[in-house]
Amino acid sequence: MDYIVAGCIEAFGLLAGGDGETYSAIATTLKASTLSMVASLIIGIPLGFLLGYYSFPGKRQVRTVVDTLLAMPTVVVGLLVYAFISRRGPLGEFGLLFTIPGIALAQTILVVPIVVSLTATAIEGLDRRLRMTLMALGAERIQIAMTSIVEARFAVLIAAVTAYGRAVSEVGISMMVGGNIKWHTRTITTAIALETGKGEFAMGIALGIVLLLLAFLANSLLTILKRQS
Amino acid sequence: MIYHISGLKFRYGDTFLLDIEELAIQRGSSLGLVGPNGCGKSTLLRILAFFMEPDEGVICFDGERVDGTGSAGKRDVTILLQESYLLKRTVFENVAYGLKVRGEKRNVTGLVHGALTMVGLPPGRFAGRSWFELSGGEAQRVALAARLVLNPRVLILDEPTASVDQESAGLIKDAIARARRDHGTSLVIASHDLPWLHEVTDDINRIHEGRMVGHETGTVISGPWIRHSDGLWKKTLTGGETISAVTPPGPDASAILNPSDIMLSTDRPEGISAQNILQGTITQMTVENDSGKVLVTVDVVGISLVARVTGKAARDLHLLPGISIWVLFKASSLTWY
Repeated sequence: MDYIVAGCIEAFGLLAGGDGETYSAIATTLKASTLSMVASLIIGIPLGFLLGYYSFPGKRQVRTVVDTLLAMPTVVVGLLVYAFISRRGPLGEFGLLFTIPGIALAQTILVVPIVVSLTATAIEGLDRRLRMTLMALGAERIQIAMTSIVEARFAVLIAAVTAYGRAVSEVGISMMVGGNIKWHTRTITTAIALETGKGEFAMGIALGIVLLLLAFLANSLLTILKRQS
Repeated sequence: MIYHISGLKFRYGDTFLLDIEELAIQRGSSLGLVGPNGCGKSTLLRILAFFMEPDEGVICFDGERVDGTGSAGKRDVTILLQESYLLKRTVFENVAYGLKVRGEKRNVTGLVHGALTMVGLPPGRFAGRSWFELSGGEAQRVALAARLVLNPRVLILDEPTASVDQESAGLIKDAIARARRDHGTSLVIASHDLPWLHEVTDDINRIHEGRMVGHETGTVISGPWIRHSDGLWKKTLTGGETISAVTPPGPDASAILNPSDIMLSTDRPEGISAQNILQGTITQMTVENDSGKVLVTVDVVGISLVARVTGKAARDLHLLPGISIWVLFKASSLTWY
């Protein structure tokens, strides 16, 4: 028990003292997850809108596939992306393996289904009178689409926060695609896994606190948004 | 003429929802539509607003034939739906939305404030409110202001007073009357609120099972009709009284009873030729907008009959809602359709 208490005390020391290795992992995590969230929103919101707004043959099947992808294991995504961006892979020439953009790419694949699914659900849940009202006021198709997304803004933000939470807390992708390289691609989660394995609880606990703090912030935001929507 | 419709048909599956041979709406006029739920009023209004295309027929808007829902006249026409919807924004942003999508940037604040004033919502108190800070009547008036601010050539209203209080209904009436007077806006209004409709329209068309069945506000009397030994056909009302008619086209036929064909009497009349003499209670009295005559709604058990009388007759008979009255009409007064 003593080593846990000592680990906690040391963890606060690392955070308060601005330990470079600890803050490097935090910075890598924030960079990768922010990149992946932005990319997933750019891709996922339009796709989610199309899926939620329009009726087309096979829509239910597409929806089932998207919903299935929500539970995609991170190691499977890691494996697929690794295969594609490794030197022998079709995207090997871009040199993405063991880089932050590489991690962000794989995390984007992981969280796009979340943004698509939650956006589609939000658009489907919009009041049926909205479209008629916008048409009555003279809105063109693109204006109707944009206004519909703005009307579902709280739900779309919930999708973004949920996606961020998933990206920031995953470990399989960061480990496989990032390679857990110190000062370079080591993220909070891979650092915790590594340091705990080495018996270095202090950094693991310090990073765990930061991760919990991020999760807390994300969930607080989620709660506020849900209340507003 | 703002609209001219001919041979319009709209189907839902194999069933005709609308089958209108001809309908002409004059520029600057105010046309009312009445009819039971499901008769096709809302479908017709959506077609007039270019939301839906008919399966057959020709629609001319302002002299030009309209093809499809993306017609040039689309932005000249706006519709206020039965249950209005407000965007999750402030009142100001809701009213300004139509101007914004048209790229209008000049004097937006002035126009929005003017429209809010028109519907009886002082801009100082209401412009900054959020959509959820409004009562049902206020929300409906904000939705109306969002249409009026566009200065539409045609304003279509689908049951605008269905879920509002009397004060809001009055303010809606004043606002649309002003739009018509100041900007020549043509009005097409569907409503079950007959007294209100009479005050805002010049002419009322009745729709029954998708067809225009007359310009009157007359009562529709549906079958079954049973032939009696005296040669007349009779329909029995829920109270046991009967309505007599001559030669219906079939036992389930429907007929319209023109309000001008009904006479009223405070005492039971004797020695007259009219076959239908029914006792009822006056439930409503309205001054007709275009004729100045009085429409008197009489509730006979099981049916409401509307009679049109002159103001002098109404005064001489001391007609008032709540009093008992005798209703008389000939068996031959019923017009079959």
